[in-house]
Amino acid sequence: MYQYDEYDATLVRERVEQFRHQVDRRLTGRLTEDQFKPLRLMNGVYLQLHAYMLRVAIPYGVLSGKQMRTLGHIARRYDRNYGHFTTRQNIQYNWPALVDIPDILGQLADVEMHAIQTSGNCIRNVTSDPYAGAAADEIEDPRPWCEIIRQWSTFHPEFSFLPRKFKIAVTGAAEDRAAIRAHDIGLKVVKNDAGETGFAVFPGGGQGRTPRIAPLIREFLPVQELLAYLTAILRVYNLHGRRDNMYKARIKILVESLGADEFRRQVEEEYEKIAADGSLALPDEEIERIRGFFPPPPQAESAEPVQFSDDADFALWRKHNVRPHKVAGLKSVVISLKPIGGTPGDATSEQMEAVADLAEQYGFDEVRVTMEQNLILPHVREADLEAVWRALADIGFATPNAYTATDIVACPGLDYCSLANARSIPISQEISTRLDKSGLIEDVGDVTIKISGCINACGHHHIAHIGVLGVDKKGEEFYQITLGGSHSDDADIGSIVGKGLPGEDVPAAIERILRAYLATRSDGERFLDTLRRVGEEPFKEAIYEAA
Amino acid sequence: MRLLENGGDPATPLESLAGTNQSDVVVEMPGDTPFETAADIAARASRIDIRFPKFRDGRGFSLGAMLRERAGFTGEMRAVGDVLPDQVFFLKRVGFDAVAPEADINDEEWSQAVNAFTVVYQPAADGEETAIRKRTAPHGDQDREVQDRLKKLNERYRGASAQDIIKAAWTELFPGRLAVMSSFGAEAAVSLHLAASVDPNIPVLFLDTERHFAQTEQYRQTLTDKLGLKDVRIIKPDAEEAAEEDAKGDLWRTDPDACCALRKVRPLAYALDGYDALITGRKRFQASTRMRLPIFEYLDGRYRVNPMADWAPEQVQAYFKEHDLPTHPLVDLGYNSIGCWPCTQPSSDGGVRSGRWAGRDKTECGIHFSFGDAPGKVRRAG
Repeated sequence: MYQYDEYDATLVRERVEQFRHQVDRRLTGRLTEDQFKPLRLMNGVYLQLHAYMLRVAIPYGVLSGKQMRTLGHIARRYDRNYGHFTTRQNIQYNWPALVDIPDILGQLADVEMHAIQTSGNCIRNVTSDPYAGAAADEIEDPRPWCEIIRQWSTFHPEFSFLPRKFKIAVTGAAEDRAAIRAHDIGLKVVKNDAGETGFAVFPGGGQGRTPRIAPLIREFLPVQELLAYLTAILRVYNLHGRRDNMYKARIKILVESLGADEFRRQVEEEYEKIAADGSLALPDEEIERIRGFFPPPPQAESAEPVQFSDDADFALWRKHNVRPHKVAGLKSVVISLKPIGGTPGDATSEQMEAVADLAEQYGFDEVRVTMEQNLILPHVREADLEAVWRALADIGFATPNAYTATDIVACPGLDYCSLANARSIPISQEISTRLDKSGLIEDVGDVTIKISGCINACGHHHIAHIGVLGVDKKGEEFYQITLGGSHSDDADIGSIVGKGLPGEDVPAAIERILRAYLATRSDGERFLDTLRRVGEEPFKEAIYEAA
Repeated sequence: MRLLENGGDPATPLESLAGTNQSDVVVEMPGDTPFETAADIAARASRIDIRFPKFRDGRGFSLGAMLRERAGFTGEMRAVGDVLPDQVFFLKRVGFDAVAPEADINDEEWSQAVNAFTVVYQPAADGEETAIRKRTAPHGDQDREVQDRLKKLNERYRGASAQDIIKAAWTELFPGRLAVMSSFGAEAAVSLHLAASVDPNIPVLFLDTERHFAQTEQYRQTLTDKLGLKDVRIIKPDAEEAAEEDAKGDLWRTDPDACCALRKVRPLAYALDGYDALITGRKRFQASTRMRLPIFEYLDGRYRVNPMADWAPEQVQAYFKEHDLPTHPLVDLGYNSIGCWPCTQPSSDGGVRSGRWAGRDKTECGIHFSFGDAPGKVRRAG
């Protein structure tokens, strides 16, 4: 993985010192909370319902064992012994004291991490395929490009006060596991007829209250031109994105109001001028330097088939949580942070430290964070799978439910978040418990359930097969159900089915949806395909059956 | 970066300047001013204040950056209005010289903010070397010195008059080691007149490609006499190389890059021994490749001094008039930029250099690039 050189390290240190100074001014009353707010927000510090929250960037979701151990240590020393992994591949601490945050940032800097631009109307942490470098269907490892974007976007002098926040996702694989078309800019690594690498560029996607799937405006952008082209898009957006209404300020609204063709024309015109100057062209030498930090995956010492024990729990876990790898003899392991009835994405200090140990012992020192709020050990020898499974089971991280209906995504909701209209975590816990008891999980297979506690959609409900959206109706929490979303290559926005339900009715309604699917599907048909074939009517009936 | 109290001294609002043609105006415009409107005014402004209505409104950052990079504005640029200390670093980077916030200025807070970071990742108008450049062009101590000197020179002479820049270069910065490079083309009279007004003994290098228009030859005589130039040196391509590489004399037709290399780039390289710095007449408005042209550059071991980098086309015309300078005979026939006869035609669209290598994807001959980057095959001497 990438390692800081003197320049990267210096910048992060300088940022810690700057923030220490700002906090000091706040604590001694030289800054009011109003004056402090824009400063802390640029560094991922939010004032939530009960306390300050600190969001730490995990660049493109990649961690070393040492970094994961530090995250665990911070949770123990400065928080209530746990952290929350988010759908944006970051981690949030819910209870740090403001006075401690500069020290936390200092400890993060020691392991080459930071909280820069994890909030504010700027370019946020770039996200990517959690299987980058390991996936069998990969065209090229996207991580070097993520790192190049991370550096370019850090303290960008022109783009730190955009109309709204700005999220970029990059994938290098055939299958889109990074939801690139639900981002402000999605980039997909492609090859042209000459075998050269470039990017397909999709700007103007997003979730929130106006979910949009991004259009393609550039089929092939030579890799050296990446930063010039991103600059052109950002400049058009910074100058012309709406600033009169924060709900219409994201780039998706600009792209939609201009139309993809006109937006493309403006970007290309700007790009021509920027490219002529040449100062943003990426030198091949720098591309190669960064690529050098992401060598091909390790070779398994033996590609011989491994004889596994006949433990049924281990077999079930392998079925769901072990994924194919591009190297024979290696597998990727999904560490489920979705215990039945638990809080999606939470991990205790001990759990984080144990994962750090496993990464170092069995995982070539790499951990990934996924947008499904799970962790991944991307490279594990098949022969080590059983040892890894046992160690994970010891810490409660071996729930065999990756990519199943109980692998639920949920935002923090009204339990923590000052924006939320409704609780998300308790609803997800009840759904998880009910579906697990129903015995349907194995049968229904590939179904995604995602819950957001408000229209801002941090829980990604728009791109779930079954989405749950919390709304506030005259002071009471209600939940709308959406059907048919997808984040993948068949990306789509789910549509709202009927009126909202009270929270206690949601788990049963979802069980009925799944039963309706089992009753309606043809052989081997996924939930999403059945829904697309027969339409929402049978499912709508199922939802409101009892009402 | 200067901090101005009480919002600074007032400027004229943009709308009251519409329809006037005053020059050296001090103008205030909002951050959402369309770039074309801003660039028009910038051509005759000595100071531009960009107003930030709310600190969250970041349009002024893009407008400022584009005025520097694209419009070539070199006058003073101020950020006024609702500006936070923590924005000052960014403002400085995109090219602002001063900030005049509405809020009270707490000196400590603001001055710390200006120098918050010593590393930058993005190229910007402040000319700071990016991390990528530092990584990919690891400098020896000597290169580091050159970079530092360039930065200081460009800061010191930003906004200085062309004559002052030439005078400083000739008497103080590169005494006895400076020459003017001139094509004796459409706008050449200006830089030659400026140089001669400082000292007619400054050597003038003319690249005789043996493909010039007869009118250029005639114009060279006229200007030399009229301006009293005492040291015009005519540089021709190496006869042996020319016989070998361009035996039929039509290399310009088959490979214009190779022709420029033979007849301009290499002869110049041979002729440069003995000089530490060259004055050029290049201006930012002339070509897309020249948008960020600094006053001082360093190329292949020599400084290039571009005293007229920020001149607008109108300034060039006014200078001709004011000093009663003769024009190149071809200008009256519609040629805006004049090179060799096979590769120059009248400008079709009014673009200054649009008649050069018309119909080809070529805008520069290569003498202003590093030898390694010049178009076509360039062979170093020796």
